[in-house]
Amino acid sequence: MDVLKVSNLVKNYGSFCAVNGVSLKVQKGEILGLLGPNGAGKTSLIHSIVTVEDFQKGSIEVCGYNLKKEIRLCKSMIGYMPQEIINHSYFNVEEVLYYHSGYYGCFNNKDYIEHLMKKFALWEHRKKRIIQLSGGMRRRLLLAKSLVHNPELLLLDEPTSGVDVSLRDDIWEFVRRLRDEGKAILFTTHYLEEAEKLCDRVAIIHKGELVRHNKTISLIQEFTLRKLGVQLKTKVNVVHKYLKLNTENYLEFHIPFSLDIGRLLEEAGLSLSQIQDIQIQEGSLEDVFKDVLDGE
Amino acid sequence: MLNSTQLKSIQTRIKWLPFIAFFRREIHRFSKVFIQTIFIPVINSSMYLIIFGVSLGSRLDLEGFSYLEFIIPGLVMMSCLSNAFQNSASSILSLKFAGDIVDVRVSPLTIQQTLWALAFGGVCRGILVGGVVLVVGELFHFYYLDRWLIPHSIGGLFAFSVLAGLVFSKMGVVIALWAKTFDHIGAVGGLVITPLTYLGGVFFSLEMLSPFWQKASLFNPILYFINGVRWSLIGMSDVTVVVSLIVSGLALVVCHVGGVLMIKNSQYYRRW
Ligand SMILES: Nc1ncnc2c1ncn2[C@@H]1O[C@H](COP(=O)(O)OP(=O)(O)O)[C@@H](O)[C@H]1O
Ligand SMILES: [Mg+2]
Repeated sequence: MDVLKVSNLVKNYGSFCAVNGVSLKVQKGEILGLLGPNGAGKTSLIHSIVTVEDFQKGSIEVCGYNLKKEIRLCKSMIGYMPQEIINHSYFNVEEVLYYHSGYYGCFNNKDYIEHLMKKFALWEHRKKRIIQLSGGMRRRLLLAKSLVHNPELLLLDEPTSGVDVSLRDDIWEFVRRLRDEGKAILFTTHYLEEAEKLCDRVAIIHKGELVRHNKTISLIQEFTLRKLGVQLKTKVNVVHKYLKLNTENYLEFHIPFSLDIGRLLEEAGLSLSQIQDIQIQEGSLEDVFKDVLDGE
Repeated sequence: MLNSTQLKSIQTRIKWLPFIAFFRREIHRFSKVFIQTIFIPVINSSMYLIIFGVSLGSRLDLEGFSYLEFIIPGLVMMSCLSNAFQNSASSILSLKFAGDIVDVRVSPLTIQQTLWALAFGGVCRGILVGGVVLVVGELFHFYYLDRWLIPHSIGGLFAFSVLAGLVFSKMGVVIALWAKTFDHIGAVGGLVITPLTYLGGVFFSLEMLSPFWQKASLFNPILYFINGVRWSLIGMSDVTVVVSLIVSGLALVVCHVGGVLMIKNSQYYRRW
């Protein structure tokens, strides 16, 4: 079930095209990582979904409803955590959450708000105004705000930027739990290692274009090479197209996922008795990402 | 996707409750800073009462009314409209400045709901300040003239206060959305609204002006609000009440349309 369906989205700022024909989907109980270098168009894409910016072409559907036709219904099902910190000049943490859920028509949810404040370690700070909070607390408040109305779809724009490691882990753990509860989650981040662990699928955009979009594991298998290090007992002369490094008695092959190792060794003319040790290093999302940036 | 019960429940939830929440927020906002939003404006208007009403109160006589009686309605209306304006203007400015305008924009609040919630917030503050000024005026009235000021028409008083509150808070929305700096608001307040209010007959009757300025004053919309309240309180007005009502109504339409257009335009309705 597609909770979010973006089709051929085009977003221009004047004559500058920030998002160029991007299509993607997020399903119930799934985390999609939207990755890309600075200025790739991630925020512009999210802004189009939350109606902060208008888009020029394409369509957006939330739970099967067209965003432009059923705008209020769609908005009420989205929880949005902006990239930029939002301040509130007059209200304290508790009041901010209370009014924010009110904007979505949710009253009488004091218990849930209390639960969220405790969850995000804001409980002791609930009477503080926003200017009295640290950067990390403000981010946690943004995340709590995006959840107060129990939305089907969560859009988190760099939820962990400027947040310390332990808190980052907490946030990811929480996001994972939301996924398990059946929420659809789209988030952006620059922490590729964490994205790799967390995302069921990944979309990489570059200069406004969607350049990769698939299951995380499939992307890694398709676009990266595994590193196979072979430690030999004695020096052997080997010639092979995947051989990248050949020192004294150490060989390093960069091989595609589809090639099985037994066959490689056979092709290279190596017998098991010559080998002292073998190390395999799998490709990572970071490699996929670098491949995209190098590819141009 | 959503089954029909879930859909119904969401649709009921987002129908009016977002508006109520935003309206409550507006009230809560100005109550939090009541020193600036209520107390100081009341003190200001009381100063005028003391300076003009009391010092000139017994000396001037306008069509059988003492000067104190004459300026109480004017000051009530002046407090009401300027506080309504200030309220929505500073609310919008802080939304733009702090960035929580984004929260409002991404929520299911409609444009109409946003505008009306801001407007009713302004009405509440305007009537609150105007009401307290009226009470202070009554005290002065009783003290110096030995009798209470009995309103000529309670309905009229209510109607003109609400109309003025709506008109000027919507105007505040328009100006604050248009503004690119805090100074812009000050400029519009100081160069347009305050002079028009002073010239709109708070302190003098049209009859005291030369024929040319009498004619010119008729183009000042604030004149109609002030005279509307003056008629409601003491039964005296430079223009007929029906005309005052019509002009106030027209002003409301203009400011409402302006407000809707500004909120629709994401060029203006966005974070600074
Ligand atoms: N309001 C705007 N007006 C004009 N250009 C913009 C605006 N917002 C973003 N851009 C441009 O659009 C591109 C994509 O920006 P953004 O979506 O913020 O990237 P990301 O979030 O991936 O870092 C950038 O080149 C940026 O300069
Ligand atoms: Mg961004």
